[in-house]
Amino acid sequence: MNLASFAARNVLRNRFRTVLTVLGVAVAVVAFLLLRTVVYAWTMAADFAAKDRVVTRHKVTFIMTLPKRYVDDVRTAPGIKVVTFANWFGGKDPKHDTEFFSAVAVDTKSFFQVYDEMRVADADLERWQTDRSGAIVGDVLAKKLGWHVGDKVTLESGIYPDDPQNPWTFTIDGIYTAMAKSVDRSTFVFHWDRLNDRIATRGQNEVGWIVSRVDDPRHVAETSLALDRLFDDREVQTLSQDEGAFNASFLAGFSAVLRAIDVVSLVILVIMTLILGNTVAMGVRERTNEYGVLRAIGFFPRHIAAFVLGEAVVTGCVGGVLGIVLAYPLIERGMGRWLEENMGVMFPYFRIETSMVAVALGASVVLAGAAAAIPAWRASRLRVTDALRRVA
Amino acid sequence: MTAPMINLRQVSKSYDRGGETLKVLQALDFEVASGSFEALMGPSGSGKSTLLNLIAGLDRPTAGTIEVAGTRIDTLGEGALAKWRANTLGFIFQAYNLIPVLTAVENVELPLLLAPVASRERRRRAETALRVVGLEDRSLHYPRQLSGGQEQRVAIARAIVNDPTLLVADEPTGDLDRASADDVLRLLETLNKELKKTIIMVTHDPVAAERATVVRRLDKGSLA
Repeated sequence: MNLASFAARNVLRNRFRTVLTVLGVAVAVVAFLLLRTVVYAWTMAADFAAKDRVVTRHKVTFIMTLPKRYVDDVRTAPGIKVVTFANWFGGKDPKHDTEFFSAVAVDTKSFFQVYDEMRVADADLERWQTDRSGAIVGDVLAKKLGWHVGDKVTLESGIYPDDPQNPWTFTIDGIYTAMAKSVDRSTFVFHWDRLNDRIATRGQNEVGWIVSRVDDPRHVAETSLALDRLFDDREVQTLSQDEGAFNASFLAGFSAVLRAIDVVSLVILVIMTLILGNTVAMGVRERTNEYGVLRAIGFFPRHIAAFVLGEAVVTGCVGGVLGIVLAYPLIERGMGRWLEENMGVMFPYFRIETSMVAVALGASVVLAGAAAAIPAWRASRLRVTDALRRVA
Repeated sequence: MTAPMINLRQVSKSYDRGGETLKVLQALDFEVASGSFEALMGPSGSGKSTLLNLIAGLDRPTAGTIEVAGTRIDTLGEGALAKWRANTLGFIFQAYNLIPVLTAVENVELPLLLAPVASRERRRRAETALRVVGLEDRSLHYPRQLSGGQEQRVAIARAIVNDPTLLVADEPTGDLDRASADDVLRLLETLNKELKKTIIMVTHDPVAAERATVVRRLDKGSLA
């Protein structure tokens, strides 16, 4: 036996309480990691945005459209490598009307050049480009809805008119996979020309947004400004942003929710600290007499403080590790997979951020120490004679 | 003439209780010769336990000087006092006060954790102390598996394991039946006579006091 093993025995003195405390810490760590993963997954599209892509949209709001002729102006602007454009279609499959996915009308020639992290087989891409009723879908969406290449699917749009005589029926020409974890693998893309031809003349030749790739990512800010200056004197002014800023501005609408999740994740850590503090305080109260005995036979106040702190830190550490061990299957294999498949637009990659694991473990250890600090100090300051008189 | 093991001069101890000063010991002079076995008797509230706590360095006097085993302990700081207790003193409590999560031999080993003694040597000394109190066959038992008398003998083994010069016992037989109390008193006699330990024992029990070589009576903070 040594001082460490003596302290370790005390951790398991009240097994039931220790187990409950460890579980309390573990649950808090799982909840903390879950909430941090929600924030991380939600914002990662902004964090992992391509550094060389510029998104140009209507200056007022991205709901309003731009004249399609702007695409040609952007294409000829200095520093621009390749340009594509798209319109939001807002489609859903009436057979699976609770499943939400993004359906977008895109320029077939340029879309996969600009978004080269979305990979589709060359033969499928060629077939799609010549098939006006064709569509390319993400692998996660195809798997979820049971779609295969060659299948015909009919969508309804919440934005553009649905005509029962002329439904929005598409042939699945290909399935894309993602080369980057931030890519939504549940998107449905089809020919912009087809959408443009179907809508009323007044709304024709309008695009939702234009996306360009620049020659040099270091000049993306100057290029964005130059693009906007190009349209300053036109009937519609634009706002060009690098893709990260564009995604962030989209997320800004959810900033209150994200902030609330941030706060709740911190509140969970505070609750964890209180649980630990309560357990430690109970233990100290019950063992006051023993601390008196230890002091009487020669133990120093610092030994008593170290025993109290050590027990709390070990409990916090074990709870933290258990929480992390539980969090991975729960968040990544269970909830994460479900969210990626069913809410891929918001959570294309719902995985625990590695640095957050370190934060969670560090927090459970440090906060356990903090929770035990006052009880440890008080235990070490006890008068021996008072402690010996105390009966648990 | 050899110096006394315990030498208290003009020791007073008072406590502040709700704004009132409670005088427990008053200008007490008290000496205990080295190698003696003394019993301290007196009614409740007479100051026996307070005196014992002062001798053991668990409390500090309001006035006066306390010298134990050649050390002025009333002037020592907390750390030095803890070290002094670990090296000089063995404490035997009325309620045994064993650590319930440790076996008998581990309880005995506890004071040695503070000394620079190797693990194997610690265990050997603890087993020797258990043999002295006649409990070598109970070394791996936990306190809950021992009788009251056995627990007190383990507590005595813990008190002697670091070979202290002075044993202080606060009502060591107070929680025991007569037979177990006799065992414990016989053991204390042996420690005094054969191992030359100086023992000072607070007791209410006249039978226990008879086993001591000197009996002192304390009344209202003064020796009677």
